[in-house]
Amino acid sequence: MATQSLNAPLESPWRDQLIHALRTALTSYTARVVVQAIVTIWAVATLTFLLVREMPGNPIDVLIEQILTQEGISYQEAYDRVAASFNFDPDASLLDLYFSWLGDLLRFDLGKSITSPGTEVIDEIARFLPWTVFAVGMGLLISFVLGIVLGMTMAYYRNSFLDHSLSLLSSFLTGVPNYIWGLLIIIVLGIQLNLFNVGELRGTYDISLTPGLNAAFILSVLKHAALPIATYVIATLGGWMLNMKSSTMGVLNEDYVNVAEARGLKDKRIITSYVGRNASLPLFTQLTIAVGFVLGSGVVIEEIFVYWGIGHYLFQSITVRDYTSMQGVFLILTMGVVFSNLFADLTYGLLDPRVRISGER
Amino acid sequence: MDARATSNPALAILLIPWSILRGAARFVSRLRANIPGMIGFIGLVAYFIFTFILPRFIPFDNEPNLDEIVGPIGSRIQLAVHRDDARLRTFEDLAGKTVGVVDQTGGPDLIAPYADTLTIEKYRWTSRRAGPGLETSLVDLANQEIDALLIFSKTVTELIDSQQDPELKALFSENIVISNPGLGPPHLLGTDTQGRDIATHVVHGGRVLILTALIGGVISTVIALFLGSIAALTGGFLDSALTALTNLILAIPRFPLLVVMAGLIRFDNTLYLGVLIGLLGWPALMRAIRSQVLSLRERDFVEAARSLGLSTNHIMFREILPNMISYVMINFIFSITFAMYEQIGLVVLGLAPINDYTWGVMLYFGRSRGTLYNPDGASMALSPVLAIAFFQVCLVLFARALEELFDPRLRAPV
Repeated sequence: MATQSLNAPLESPWRDQLIHALRTALTSYTARVVVQAIVTIWAVATLTFLLVREMPGNPIDVLIEQILTQEGISYQEAYDRVAASFNFDPDASLLDLYFSWLGDLLRFDLGKSITSPGTEVIDEIARFLPWTVFAVGMGLLISFVLGIVLGMTMAYYRNSFLDHSLSLLSSFLTGVPNYIWGLLIIIVLGIQLNLFNVGELRGTYDISLTPGLNAAFILSVLKHAALPIATYVIATLGGWMLNMKSSTMGVLNEDYVNVAEARGLKDKRIITSYVGRNASLPLFTQLTIAVGFVLGSGVVIEEIFVYWGIGHYLFQSITVRDYTSMQGVFLILTMGVVFSNLFADLTYGLLDPRVRISGER
Repeated sequence: MDARATSNPALAILLIPWSILRGAARFVSRLRANIPGMIGFIGLVAYFIFTFILPRFIPFDNEPNLDEIVGPIGSRIQLAVHRDDARLRTFEDLAGKTVGVVDQTGGPDLIAPYADTLTIEKYRWTSRRAGPGLETSLVDLANQEIDALLIFSKTVTELIDSQQDPELKALFSENIVISNPGLGPPHLLGTDTQGRDIATHVVHGGRVLILTALIGGVISTVIALFLGSIAALTGGFLDSALTALTNLILAIPRFPLLVVMAGLIRFDNTLYLGVLIGLLGWPALMRAIRSQVLSLRERDFVEAARSLGLSTNHIMFREILPNMISYVMINFIFSITFAMYEQIGLVVLGLAPINDYTWGVMLYFGRSRGTLYNPDGASMALSPVLAIAFFQVCLVLFARALEELFDPRLRAPV
């Protein structure tokens, strides 16, 4: 029986083999998470579509109302004008609009900005997004590494004075909202102690410099990003410390650590390749969750530091009620979160052989 | 003597406060072992007194005091009066008087609402710093041609102190009294750009924020508890559907969604914002509660209850819920911190209602009026910042202490 089923794919014609391969591919873990990601993005796209068109007080009705009261033209004319700026066919039904919008999305066409005509939303996003990715990425990277080191220290010296004070510190770091940390940096370091000039650090780089691979430009970019990065580091560090501490304490109880100690391996080797590596693995999944959160909260941070990233762009389009930009940025942010989750799901097996062998999580 | 032990219902009711008190005392004595948790607990009690009881005794200071104004960027706003009229302090005092305003420094905005009760004499600030315009106005004041002078600059004091002309110097220093606001007993935290007491604003600024956060926390916790236990107890299609929905909502970045919705809807009441925050905030907790219920469901005592034929309601509320109530409580506290975070973030961005003068609104005005960037405005900027920061820290410390109290694995040395 067992040999028969093992041999079955070999004996069956190629079509059956193909179907079999397809079925395994579709039911595999990879396919499932990819499909899940696509469905999520589709659902969020639908949600934004409905939010902009169907919600009470939705922007299309508001804009029509605005044009009607301002210019006293007929409803149909106002509707046509709004349709032109939102880039949809005024005669089409809601369903047709929905499908044409989805089609545009597939071609990465997010429509044109309403308030500044002629600008493609996708171009604006491409202009602002890299700065946010840079700042958020640097911030998370630094705090992740620091948090792993501090968390392991806490676990090794557990219940010591050091552990207790670091744990208190982590409560402070996570408890205080990140924009409050940002404000504290500005008020205390910038204004009261006058360590730097807050006004000079606005924007993403000194506009008198030409962008390029020269030292002055790179230095200016780092200088302008330093405060947002510092804020991201401070606000996320506490979480990594606590997670790494509890993860390390779990690993320290594992048999293979005892065995390694019994074998007389050097402490340094045990700490790095036995404890550190295994304890930090679960944190990688949390890193992707943090990416979503930090990307989202970046709206306030970038506004406070006047750092011209995607959050600043989102806020600007909200204040001028530029709905196409709003919906575009929101979609891009969601896609960022979905893709970082997908990335974690797909790469976790590579990092942790135990997951790879058992085949599922 | 326990409330449950007495048979007389009237007596039992009388004993309820006693047993609550005893429970609280037991709780506090257990918490004493955890110093940070104790700090958080005391802090929260202090915040409660501070924001819900103190406002009854300390009125909100909404009266502009001209001689106690801390100015906009780089300047002290000052009221200069003649020595004989040193009691002039508010706009009410100035009714019927002639007030000089040095135009370019921002006076007209402040004085505009009172324009018909007093006579306004305008002076020009010339291009040179401390130019003759300012000097003319001071001479007029010293000679009592005007009754008071509003000056929005710190150069006034310099002008008087470093006056070259000995005659003018004597005239100024003998006749003019210049206001000088500072921190101190009458105003513990100093005064703001309109000379109003900041401490009273801080006392009044927490109530709406904390209530909104509580509403948000309660709604999201209740939804999470309800959906999480339904998903875990019924299983099947409903479970998969709810889990899929939860995963979908979790993938949407919550704060940008709130920002977009607040931008579209424009709330007129902060409490509605709490409801919206609650309605969006449940998914993470729902997943956690679902897995808690799933694991509790397999325990022996639940199996026993089920084999006795007890109803799902009974199993949920009598067997499962009491066993995870501490977990729910801890997460309730964390969801309050999230709700607090989100609503203040929205207020700082100016997307939430600003009709209540909360800590968040203080920050919003600080940003939009530039007082955050004013070296003189330290107390104005830091008071709301620290009030928010310490509240959040107290919540986190308390929640972490509860975690350690209820989860022995965290407490015991491993």
